[in-house]
Formats: sequence, C-alpha cells, structure tokens
Amino acid sequence: MTWVRGIGGLIGLAIVLEAVPRSGAVSPLYFPPFSTIMVALAEEVERASFWSALGKTLESWALGLAIAVCAGAVIGIAIGSSALLRETTRSTIEFLRPIPSVALIPLVTLLFGTTLKSNLILVVYASFWQVLIQVLYGVQDVDPLARETARSYRLSRWEQIRYVIWPTTLPYLMTGVRLAAAVALILTITAELVIGTPGLGKELFLAQTSGAYEIMYVYVVVTGIIGVIVNVLARALERAVMPWHSSLRTEAMP
Amino acid sequence: MRKSGRQMVGYFALAVCLALAGTAVVGGQPGSAQDKITVGIIPITDCAPIFLGKQKGFFAKYNLDVNIESAQGGAELVNPVVSGQREFGFSNVSSLLIAQTRGLDLVAISAGASSTGEQGRDFGAIVAPGDSPIKNAKDLEGKTVAVNNLNNIGDTSVNASVRAAGGDPSKVKYVELAFPAMPAALADKRIDAAWIVEPFLTITKEHGAKVVAWNLVDTSPRLMIAAYFTTRKYAKEHPDIVKRFQEAMKESLAYADSHNDEVRAIVPTFTRVSKEMIGKSTLPRWPTEMNIKSTQTLADLALKDGLLAKKPDLDAFFKLP
Repeated sequence: MTWVRGIGGLIGLAIVLEAVPRSGAVSPLYFPPFSTIMVALAEEVERASFWSALGKTLESWALGLAIAVCAGAVIGIAIGSSALLRETTRSTIEFLRPIPSVALIPLVTLLFGTTLKSNLILVVYASFWQVLIQVLYGVQDVDPLARETARSYRLSRWEQIRYVIWPTTLPYLMTGVRLAAAVALILTITAELVIGTPGLGKELFLAQTSGAYEIMYVYVVVTGIIGVIVNVLARALERAVMPWHSSLRTEAMP
Repeated sequence: MRKSGRQMVGYFALAVCLALAGTAVVGGQPGSAQDKITVGIIPITDCAPIFLGKQKGFFAKYNLDVNIESAQGGAELVNPVVSGQREFGFSNVSSLLIAQTRGLDLVAISAGASSTGEQGRDFGAIVAPGDSPIKNAKDLEGKTVAVNNLNNIGDTSVNASVRAAGGDPSKVKYVELAFPAMPAALADKRIDAAWIVEPFLTITKEHGAKVVAWNLVDTSPRLMIAAYFTTRKYAKEHPDIVKRFQEAMKESLAYADSHNDEVRAIVPTFTRVSKEMIGKSTLPRWPTEMNIKSTQTLADLALKDGLLAKKPDLDAFFKLP
C-alpha cells in the first residue's frame, strides 16, 4: 500500500505546483501552473526530437552506469582482497573521490567536445566511487571464519571470490548500484545541460535560451519522472538479485 | 530454481562487462569527395545564415560537407576549435579578442552577425521596468544593470551608451545574469535595468518593460557582434578549405540578409523559439564583409574600460596567414 501513499504525495505536489503560480506568489509567465506544463508535455511527446533526446540520455546513463558498476565491482574486489592494495590506495581514493565530476567539464570539453565520450567520463567518474566504496566495505565485511574455512578447504582464489566474498559483497554492491544509478542520471543531465551533448539536458537548455519557458519546465518534469523510474528499477533489481537478503524479506520479521 | 536465476544474472553481468570491454572505438569515415567540416555555433537567431546556407546548398556548392554543432557558448565554442575537434566556430567578437590577448592564436574568417545600426529598431537594447525612473542611459549611474557576461560585449556597449548620454560609466554596477532569466528579474525589480537580446527583448517588452537605450547602435554604426573563426594553425594548413568556407558563408549571409522570411522559417528548426515569437522579433543584419572598424572601436572601448588587460593585435586577428 506504500505506492498508494507515494502517488498521494505526488498528487499533493501537483496541487501545490498548480496553486502557487495561480495565487500570484510567483509570476505564471515565468513559472507556469502544473496543468499548463502537462499540456505542453502532451504536445512535446509528439515530437521526434523528444524521443531521440530521451534515447540519448538513457544511452549515456546506461552505458556510464554499466562501466562504473563493472569497474567498481572488479577493482573493489581486487583492492579489498589484498591488505597491501588496500593500504596503498586508501589515500589516493580519498583524494580523488571528493573531486566533483562537474569540475572535470572544462577538461573533458577540451579533450572530447560535445560527444558521448564527454558524458561517459563525467558519469563514470561520479558513479564509479559510489560502487567502489560499497564493494570495499562489502569485502571487508566477509566473515573471517568463512574466509579461514574456505582456505582450509583449499578453495581456489576464484572459488573464494565466487562462494565467500561475492555473496557477502552483493548486498553492498546493490546499494552501490542504486546510489550510482541516481548519480549517473544527475551527471548525464548535467553534462548535456552544460556541455551541450545531445539529450534531455540539451533540450532543456535549448528551450531556456529560446524563451520557451513552458517547454523548459516540461523537461524538468521529464527528468524528475525518469529519476523516479530509475529508483523503482534499482529497487526491483535488488529484489530480483538477492531475494534472500533480510532488508527485502518481510515475512520473517520478528 | 532460485539459484539458477541468480546464476543467470551473474552470466548476464559478465556478458555486459565483456561486451563493454570489447567495444572498440571505431574510426575512419567513408570516402567522400566533399571536405567534411564541423562548425560550432550557439542555437540563436544570429546563426540562422549557416543553417540556411546548408539547406540551400551553398556549402555543397563549394564542396564542403558542413556539420553544424550547437554549443552552450563561451569556452565550449573556443576550446573545441583550439583543440582541433572542430574546424570552425562562431563567437562574439569581444570573447575572441579576450581569447587572443590571453595567447590563443585565433583568426576571424567571416562576419557572424551585426547590429541593425538603427536607433529604435535593433535586436538588443537596454531595458528597464515600465514604471522605472530611468529615462535614458545617463540615469543608469548608480543603478544595477544585468549583462549576460561580465567583462564582455555587454558592459562595453552599455558603457558606450552611458557615455553617449553624458554619464559616467564607472558609476554603473554590473551583475551577471543569463538572458532567459532577465525578464523575470526585471518584473520582480531584482535588477534596475538589463542589456537584453531577442527573443527576450520582445518577451520583456510584452510584459511591460521599456527600452532605455540602444547600446549596440550607440557603440558603433553597424557593430559586428560575432564572427566565425578558426586557429592560425588550421588556416595555414588548409588555406583552400578556409577560402571555400569564406565564400559559402558570404553567400549564406547575403541570402539571409535579403530573405528574412526564410530566416524566420528556419529559426524554429534549430532553436525552440516559437514561430509567433520569431515573427515579432527584430532580426540582426548579416553584412558579408567583416566590420574591422567596429571591432577596433570595441577593442579601444574594452581597453579604456579595463576589460582587456592588453591591446589585442587586430592585424593578426583579421589577417589570414
């Protein structure tokens, strides 16, 4: 029943967005009421440019996220499994991680211009750390007893990763994926908006520079909707991959 | 069953990783008789001629396959040309002069867009709220005026208007605000005045703002606002392509300047300006020759106002190697 309450919240937000411009608190010329935005959205979805922009955004997002998750998982397990690597990379990771991806925009445009590569670098850079940090914690969390047992049973390096490290790390990885999915979307839109690579962010910019205020809000709303869908999908993926995990089980709660 | 499901997910993840690893950067283009060039522009009315020229086949006529890429302005226009990703770019003249004084070796190769040079009918103006006490540019002393970029063509030209009206430009306080945000800021009186361009000039006038002065006209008769440029290195290595680009641009500019109805038809295809709004907007003019004199005026004014750190080398700026 939580989704009913969620929809109730959205309806409430829509009412506020309708009432505030109509009340005159903000100018309806520059902040159109929700119903006006929805009418403009209905017109917008009939344009081919809308769907190609949506496709481009989802492409950068999915590709960037996939690279970040693969790299984060592989590098995370590699670093996490070795005390030496953990110690030597800690300070470097802590130095690189807080650098905001957007700070790389001038560098990226110089190197790659308005191409998909520019988007991918920003998206991967931002979401990679989300995954890596979670995986590192996950590997740390492996039960020492299980690790020792695996070793005494002479499990190979691969078998240890597969049967000991991976099941413990998976819930952490999934948290990382969920966080990274949201961050990747934010960075995709930001890159399109600031650099001008094709996608929803660029359409938003185009509407803004053309004085088409309603259309600008249409794209704000569309990015919001995609954000919600991405989160729902990430949750669904978590449920599909690890239905045994306690955070997802409701029937066995004490 | 459950286990095999999880294994499937694992295999799928592995497949995705492998597919990504295998994705090589595919290079090479199919052979073509035409020379491929990429031009970086901003999606505004000023750039209509290049779209029109492409549509009318002026570039094909000179054996150029032109790819027009729109950027968000500023560094996103200059950087890709300097780094060689794009052959040509469109930028406002002040920004190009600033880039030159900072050591980038750029050459202007074609006129971009120009002011109409007519008082009372230009595509950019200084506007104030309808009930504002500001009557002329001299009244801007002590007031807050918004320009789209500080230390650029906005403050230089507004200063020129203030001077022309007998005021002291050093008393004007400038703030930076994007053109799309200006109409709302004026309506809310968050700023006293703004230098604004079409279509926002029409929008803000419809919402009650009044024109205080025509700053581009006050700066220089037929002020050249923007130009197409490349790097000296590229111009030296590809004189033939540059020459053909110049010829194609000349035809495009002349066509746009004499076919305003077609300009108005093509603008909504590369911007989101509505047909109705572009119908009401004042268009810039598109002379085919570069106005070196107006650029000299801009450079002198910028130097006088301290916007440029040193004198730009205009001979180099306009001279092809």
